[in-house]
Amino acid sequence: MAEARAAAENSVEEYVVQMKGITKVYPNGIAANQDVDLFVKKGEIHALMGENGAGKSTLMKMLFGLEQPTSGEIIINGEKVNLTSPTVAISKGIGMVHQHFMLVPSLTVAENMVLGIVPKKSGIFIDYKKAVEITKEYSQRFNLHVEPDAKVMDIPVGMKQKVEILKALVRGAKILILDEPTAVLTTQETTELFKELIHLKEQGYTIIFISHKLNEIMEITDRLTILRGGKSMGVHNTRDVTKEEISRLMVGRDVVLSVQKDVAKPTDTVLKVRDMEYVNEWGKKMLDKVSFSVRKGEILGIAGVEGNGQKELVDMLFNLNTPNAGTATVNGENILGLPQRKIREKGVSLVPEDRMVFGIAGDGTIEENLISDRCGSKDLNRGPLFNMNAIHDSCKKLIEDYLILCKSGKQKVKMLSGGNIQKVVVAREFSNDPVLIIADQPTRGIDVGATEFIRKKLVELSRSGIAVLLISADLSEVMELSDSLIVMYGGKIAAYFEDTRELNDEIMGEYMLGLKRQPEEQVRRVCHE
Amino acid sequence: MNRKRSIVFSLVRGLAAILIALAVATLLIFISSEGESLAEKLAATGDALRQLLIGPLFRSSGGLNTKNLSDILAAMIPTIFTGLGVCVMFSANEFNMGAEGGALLGAFVAAMCAIYVPMAAGIHVVFCILMGAVACGLMMLIPALLKTRLGVSEMVCSLMLNYVVMYVISYLMNAHLSDKSKGQIQSYPFESTAQVPQLVDNGSKLSWGFVVAIVFVVLIALFMYRTRWGYAIRMIGINKDFAMYSGMKVAGVIVLAHVLGGVLAGMGGGLEMLGRYETYAWRSLPGYGWTGITIAILAGNNPIFVPFASFFIAYLDKGCNLMATYCGVPNQLIDIIQACIFLFFAAEQFLSRYRQRLVVKSTQEELRLKAASVEGGESNA
Repeated sequence: MAEARAAAENSVEEYVVQMKGITKVYPNGIAANQDVDLFVKKGEIHALMGENGAGKSTLMKMLFGLEQPTSGEIIINGEKVNLTSPTVAISKGIGMVHQHFMLVPSLTVAENMVLGIVPKKSGIFIDYKKAVEITKEYSQRFNLHVEPDAKVMDIPVGMKQKVEILKALVRGAKILILDEPTAVLTTQETTELFKELIHLKEQGYTIIFISHKLNEIMEITDRLTILRGGKSMGVHNTRDVTKEEISRLMVGRDVVLSVQKDVAKPTDTVLKVRDMEYVNEWGKKMLDKVSFSVRKGEILGIAGVEGNGQKELVDMLFNLNTPNAGTATVNGENILGLPQRKIREKGVSLVPEDRMVFGIAGDGTIEENLISDRCGSKDLNRGPLFNMNAIHDSCKKLIEDYLILCKSGKQKVKMLSGGNIQKVVVAREFSNDPVLIIADQPTRGIDVGATEFIRKKLVELSRSGIAVLLISADLSEVMELSDSLIVMYGGKIAAYFEDTRELNDEIMGEYMLGLKRQPEEQVRRVCHE
Repeated sequence: MNRKRSIVFSLVRGLAAILIALAVATLLIFISSEGESLAEKLAATGDALRQLLIGPLFRSSGGLNTKNLSDILAAMIPTIFTGLGVCVMFSANEFNMGAEGGALLGAFVAAMCAIYVPMAAGIHVVFCILMGAVACGLMMLIPALLKTRLGVSEMVCSLMLNYVVMYVISYLMNAHLSDKSKGQIQSYPFESTAQVPQLVDNGSKLSWGFVVAIVFVVLIALFMYRTRWGYAIRMIGINKDFAMYSGMKVAGVIVLAHVLGGVLAGMGGGLEMLGRYETYAWRSLPGYGWTGITIAILAGNNPIFVPFASFFIAYLDKGCNLMATYCGVPNQLIDIIQACIFLFFAAEQFLSRYRQRLVVKSTQEELRLKAASVEGGESNA
């Protein structure tokens, strides 16, 4: 690190961003960054890598003025700055595109674009025409195609992202921070985004690119900084390192990136969904005659771009919403419209998509979160009182089995990192003797280590005779884990692949984007009786 | 942050809140104190402060003032119960403000049972208080069911309900139940079998209700932290969606929280009525429910801390009464002083910089320890 600092001082002009010796301690006592250095050259695409909880987001939040460092200094274009708020950061030419888009869905693209810097007519009225003009001008200049008059809620994810990038550029950003920009994109959209990013780079813009995905990093970045456990693992030229080296630096050990699994031998049908239909509150048909089955001992994957009915489907199966038509049974018994307690009694477990909303009670302890579905069971109660020892022992076992990193089971869940929070959810959902596990985006936004663990666990459970329904927007994840796979597009099942082994991204992408659709008979084969 | 530091922080923070509040109080007392010269005013202020701070416990001669102490403990009886009730309801994230009307209803029903339902000594008083508690529990069904069935705001509903209860009782007293031979609106005297026996005989009205209150603190703490129902109440309070998804009967548990909160408030009202008075003569809301809300907030919704918060408020009340009696300081000052203290207690960011410094220090120590142990381990190997 000392050499890096010395080298940096020798060629100060070269760097547009210098973060030196940054330490950040949060009010909950977590040291998210410890003496981290980040030096970004002008006009490069610089990757910031690390597992979740490694401190990437914290470091970027400080660069964008959302958090202040406990110690250390930030130098932008050779000038020492004190970034007290995003407004200050923007004025220094820093723009950030968040993982979760910060757009107003009910406003048009042009309106979103000028939010806070609205062009005015005679000082009072909003000059909408001017807003559209600005949008068009920037859109052309940077080759980022958007529709200025469309409402943000009607445009696809890929375009929303472009709106976000343009928003930053309109505000004069020269340094762009992209927080996991490809997490929600299809292969095709990702390819497009990369072209645009390279175009920006050629025009002298600097891009800091946060990602977990090694392939992308190799493809697009010039240099990379790796964080692990809040510390910097050094900066490297992308072309000088291999994927394996990077993942070792990130995780601190060799990671098996592909899951080993033997061929599935599915037996009886467990979940049977037939002709499920749902029209949402805005009149859009989100589920259109969806029928499929999941059998014991197999993992059925559902792939598709988000917003094509996957979320709605899961909501129906766990009675978080009511379908307009259709049936769903588990081992022959209806589960639609039952209270969640009854659904769970039939052996259905759910790893919810949004773990912070449904998966955990953040202010509760780890133990309290692990027993939420079984708090009434005989094993954990003694008369009217809880059997505290039994609770403590069973939770201790779960914490050990599921490698949940914590000081003790009495720690609050919200103090854990994303990956460990997900392990708490998974530990609970996998350990209640399920016959069917619905895993909705089980590894979204969590680190490589936890991802690997959860994937292995899913395969293990399915091979032990549990039916698994896996919904994931991560294409490589669904393809690798699933034994067979359906693709959802526009609320319909667009394709069914009985065997995932000969699939590739290209074929999948065509179905996911609605360019192709299998004939009805072929799709119907997913309905086992 | 380690345990020791967080305790130190809590203490420093509490003390700082009280000191600031006292500084404000001193200023106000000084302004309102009587006296011609500055010296006289200062002396009067000092006298008033002495009454406020140590008057409630110590005689001017220096000995412990047991009469005042038992007055304070007696004053805690109803507010411990309302405080517990509010704790239970707030833990479910249900902002039921009905403990006020609940205490009134509990007191009224207990009083009526004490007059019109003669029973044997021993069980009569228990019966009266239970009836008061049940009545108040039933009353809380109104906001609870409206909330769970129709989505009516429990806060608005329960707040209004207080006045409905108060005026219905006023009407009953005026029209049907008052002792017409008396000059004011009051009931016939309670049967002697219905009175809560006194704990001490010094006229302070410290009854066995105090012991019952402490027993209930333990029971409610056990209920909230050691049973599945209390657990469900707390989880629903933290994240209702999570509780539903986990398979808890969310609506049922919410109703339970309201009803249990009501039962506690009603019990507090009943014990207060039968422990302190001989006839029912309340004509407005007693204020115990509002105090209960303050207590629950000070106690952070943890039943164990309720008696301490209750003691604190009773002490402050007593001190202000003494100030008013002996030093001519207006009784309204207590509200200002209390408001100051709560303001700083409730202000989450109060002293947050100091806290952050402690946090940084702890974390750095922890990291150093970890680094040292790693190095140590390596050299051993």
